[in-house]
Amino acid sequence: MPAGKPVIEAKDVFRAFIARADHGKRYPILALQDANLAIEKGEFVSFVGPSGCGKSTLLNMVAGIFQPTAGEILYKGKPVTAINTDVGYMTQDDNLLPWRTLRDNVEVALEFQGMPAAQRHERAAEYIAKVGLCGFENHYPHELSGGMRKRCALVRTLIYEPDIILMDEPFGPLDAQTRVILQDELLKLWDGTGKTIVFVTHDLVEAIALSDRIVLFSRAPGRIKQIYKVPLSRPRDVFHIHAEPEFPAFFDQLWRDLKEEITEVELRAK
Amino acid sequence: MAYTCDNQTMKGAVEGSRGQQILRETEIRDGALERKHNRDTRIGQALLGLGLFLLWELGSGTLVDQFFVSKPSKIMESVWGMLIKEDLLYHMQFTVTEALAGYLIGASAGLLSGFLLARIDLVYRIVQPFIIGFYGIPRIALAPLFILWFGIGISSKIAVAAVMTFFIVLINTIAGIRSVPVQLLQVTKVMGASEWDLNWKVIFPSATPFIIAGLQIAVPQAMIGAIVGEFISSNRGVGHLINKASGWLDTPGLFAGIFALMIVVLLMNYGVTVIGNRLMRWNPKYGNMREPV
Ligand SMILES: Nc1ncnc2c1ncn2[C@@H]1O[C@H](COP(=O)(O)OP(=O)(O)OP(=O)(O)O)[C@@H](O)[C@H]1O
Ligand SMILES: [Mg+2]
Repeated sequence: MPAGKPVIEAKDVFRAFIARADHGKRYPILALQDANLAIEKGEFVSFVGPSGCGKSTLLNMVAGIFQPTAGEILYKGKPVTAINTDVGYMTQDDNLLPWRTLRDNVEVALEFQGMPAAQRHERAAEYIAKVGLCGFENHYPHELSGGMRKRCALVRTLIYEPDIILMDEPFGPLDAQTRVILQDELLKLWDGTGKTIVFVTHDLVEAIALSDRIVLFSRAPGRIKQIYKVPLSRPRDVFHIHAEPEFPAFFDQLWRDLKEEITEVELRAK
Repeated sequence: MAYTCDNQTMKGAVEGSRGQQILRETEIRDGALERKHNRDTRIGQALLGLGLFLLWELGSGTLVDQFFVSKPSKIMESVWGMLIKEDLLYHMQFTVTEALAGYLIGASAGLLSGFLLARIDLVYRIVQPFIIGFYGIPRIALAPLFILWFGIGISSKIAVAAVMTFFIVLINTIAGIRSVPVQLLQVTKVMGASEWDLNWKVIFPSATPFIIAGLQIAVPQAMIGAIVGEFISSNRGVGHLINKASGWLDTPGLFAGIFALMIVVLLMNYGVTVIGNRLMRWNPKYGNMREPV
């Protein structure tokens, strides 16, 4: 892990939202509390934690979609106060534009940034080929399979080479095989680029296979409970990650710590 | 390593295989289905039209007094007569100009103001009740006023048609803009979309189903505006012809005028539909996409 000044920093970050009760009464709820975190350039960091613990909320604040209620988010040392266009954001839903074909979706950010058409077609063709979507360039999103849509959303984010890539459960709804293949593709696309990735997942194996560090959130209202360094070397073989000698012990420890949070949520629900 | 798409092997099956044969058969079947689809639509429309005409032709004078409803053969005769001696085309040219010009002015103004109003939340909240208020007054009642302001020439009729169109397009545009999923705005902003990009590449396409619906509803409204203007005062236009025919108790003449207007409205509506289908070709619920084979 390269040392130096962090690219992303969260300092005592709290975020509250207004929620509505049955009778339309409004009340505030806490989505995230007291978050402190520093992410270095080139790091691959995963967030894991129970549902509703504020993982997406923290990503949204890094992207500048909204601001912390208290504390601050720093990007390259400066507070994020508006939309941060240096980040690429692969959201929990794929949010492809339904009126654009796969190619036009992949190119959209380059188009926003004013790249000439010929150049952007060339770049898009390369990325589309990289993730094996050749032949589907002119399909609309509703004509693609779930895995294809995810690939499309992935290269749409990577193609403009943002410094920071935020990924919110990007492979969540996929079948196990496609998932592992996409994890492998992601690592290959990322390897050697020096880009920083912040990755949210509920899959501990996925988090271990991909990340340098894992951030565990406590149950809602979430706070950062613990940060782990993944004891595996790179390059990783995602297909046989279980076979790594350090894997079982690390997985057990992570699972034990996470289970505490989940069971307490369930106990509270009763 | 550089990646490119080899366009030869895309989604194909191995040359000469069963899979490729099935692909080819599917393509042929799809073409045939499309032609059948189009033919069935045309035949259905022709039969329904013919049926209505026959019912009218035979029912008139037997089921209903012919004086009140005339009959298609008489109307066609009358259309023909008007075409040659009364200059139906000459009069239509004014009505069409009024309706079309009013429509174009009203629709562009409606679209433009829709974008200006709906994109700024505070502005929207301020003007919203006023828009509904203005929309609520029977706009047709403005016609005499407009004739007072703009004279009895075509400009007063254009104004009435424009007002009829404006509010419908405005309200639909606003509804469309407000229906854009907020996540689409967020992700595209993060990708660096400018305000211009957001409007043209995200909001407009997302809102097109609403906007096109408004544009379609507004077509006959523009025509109503033009005709009512002509009814009130004019010496030209199809409205004037219809007025005259009614003064002479000339039912076939009346229907001939109505028939001519219907054709014009159908043509205008067809134009909007073509544009709409083009804009919404991405949407499986619209236009030229069929169920897969
Ligand atoms: N825009 C909003 N308005 C109101 N409440 C919100 C909003 N966004 C998030 N919340 C609330 O904040 C809390 C944290 O939400 P968040 O989406 O960050 O969870 P998460 O950790 O990403 O969960 P999951 O793993 O299920 O995606 C939840 O209780 C959620 O209801
Ligand atoms: Mg989430």
